Amino acid sequence: MPDPLSVAIVELRRDEVTRQLETRIAAGQDPLALLESCRQGMTLVGERFQRGDYFLSELLLAAESFKAAAALLEPHLSKSRGTEAYGRVVLATMKGDIHELGKHIFGTLLRAQGFEVHDLGVDVPPVVLVRKVEELQPQFVGFSALLTTTFQSMKQAADLVDRAGLRRGFKLMVGGGVTTPAVREYVGADFQSTDATEGVTFCLDVVAGRRA
Amino acid sequence: MIRETMTPDERLWSAIRLERPDRVPIVPTLCPEPAARLNGLPLAAVVRDGRLAVDAAFRVFDGYGGWENPYPAVYTPVGMQIANIFPMRMRIPGKDLGENDVYQVEEQEILKPEDYDRIAEAGTDPFYYDDYLWRITDIRREALGEALGVFAEGYDYFTAECARRDRRPFFGGYALHPFFMLSLMRSLVPFTQDLYYNPEPVERALQRMTADVIAKQIPIIKQSGLSMWVLVEERASGALYPPAIADRFWWPYARQIIDACWSEGIVTVFHLDQCWDKNIAQFRQLPRGSAVLELDSTTNIFAAKEAVGGHLCLHGDVPAALLSIGTPEGVSAYCRRLIDEVGAGGGFILGSGCSVPADVRPENFGALIETGKTYEPSKR
Repeated sequence: MPDPLSVAIVELRRDEVTRQLETRIAAGQDPLALLESCRQGMTLVGERFQRGDYFLSELLLAAESFKAAAALLEPHLSKSRGTEAYGRVVLATMKGDIHELGKHIFGTLLRAQGFEVHDLGVDVPPVVLVRKVEELQPQFVGFSALLTTTFQSMKQAADLVDRAGLRRGFKLMVGGGVTTPAVREYVGADFQSTDATEGVTFCLDVVAGRRA
Repeated sequence: MIRETMTPDERLWSAIRLERPDRVPIVPTLCPEPAARLNGLPLAAVVRDGRLAVDAAFRVFDGYGGWENPYPAVYTPVGMQIANIFPMRMRIPGKDLGENDVYQVEEQEILKPEDYDRIAEAGTDPFYYDDYLWRITDIRREALGEALGVFAEGYDYFTAECARRDRRPFFGGYALHPFFMLSLMRSLVPFTQDLYYNPEPVERALQRMTADVIAKQIPIIKQSGLSMWVLVEERASGALYPPAIADRFWWPYARQIIDACWSEGIVTVFHLDQCWDKNIAQFRQLPRGSAVLELDSTTNIFAAKEAVGGHLCLHGDVPAALLSIGTPEGVSAYCRRLIDEVGAGGGFILGSGCSVPADVRPENFGALIETGKTYEPSKR
């Protein structure tokens, strides 16, 4: 029998999620267990999406609910024991592009799946990206693009991390409406998609060892 | 070499009417940015000067030997804001961005939930010009009239330049689907939350905006003397929303608009960015020949041909990435495939997937135009 909190996440009842959390936190329930229930809800949402019962909008709404739940639990979690992330992801819209809707959706979905996401924002210079990769040592780096003019700075950033000897430490993903397999090759990325959920699946598969 | 037996207009309309033209009509979506780049102009120059943008577009048109009907993308970013064509804050080259950067829009929650009913009560334009516009632009109120005049002059100039070349503009009116408009104004995530958690005000606004689009656009289109206009939708596809949402908030309003236009003999060019693979068959419910589906290459245009071929004309879809980083051979091969498969039996206009990208390679653009003009289809 799933936790009612998981069910509320799955059924997109965001007010019910908040109500339950507030009641159960006040009753002294373990915040980590509550977070886990939310995460289980997200897993069930993901299963519905995979079956075609849910669409991206529903995945997004559930992830927004999860984000709100995590924010509510955050002050209590710091008193509890820490959680371990699935993996660390750095996301950026590179120099020349300020669009971040797709990146925001991707980041939200990744966080809801338990990834630690570092969003560097938009119009990110390649050298800043390199510095952040060096500092954070991520397992994944994702570039989002809405403009073809960003291909150059994505390639430049990929070349720079390669020259810095950091490229082998992570999988490089490119995404966004204008990307194609040819762009993946051009940039030297490991993965490309115009679909945020495919990107999440890729990350989960790599972490689980289902993909190299 | 193909022997041409039709005028450009005859060729275009033959495709729209699902007949077989002498060769495929070509209509690339050439916006001011690629036109500037192909002329070696800084992008900021065409953003500041709409007349220069038109000149740049026609220098490209002339330089590549012309094509069917020029796409009247005669805009400046500020012009799009003030003409109620793109309701978002923008970053402008030469002002907020470098001289050679592409203008960009900011996804922000500008429209508030209480605004839905204000739109429903006041109407789209009164709400937009009395209130909303001033949330997204720094143009002064007293300068609006003159700025709108300059914007309108740009279209007149474009039309005159078309006439000098014995061409007619591709379309005579342009609007966003009310669903798309609201999503841009409200931003995607809050708008999606409204659709699921607070749908009634959204519906009231959609009903009013739909009536307003019809009442405003049909006279504009008729005045243009053209029987075609563009309706834009980039956020309603099955890639994002389930049928229950689309069938309630999107499709009925699309039908109302397209049916109203069709009843006046006006064809709607439906500019459909995003992947529509899941919904494409639904477009078959539209009256035969009433719309052209303009696809951006994320929708599988070859599958779309299977779904709506012989019922609606398709327009597209050479990918922006191919034009940007591909080769002329690659562009030509893709165009040949489009002509052979999507163009088989007619009902196809060759074009770019959405806009020609700002960093298009001249040789790739040339390959698109040249292949369209010279390739003899292997399947008729």
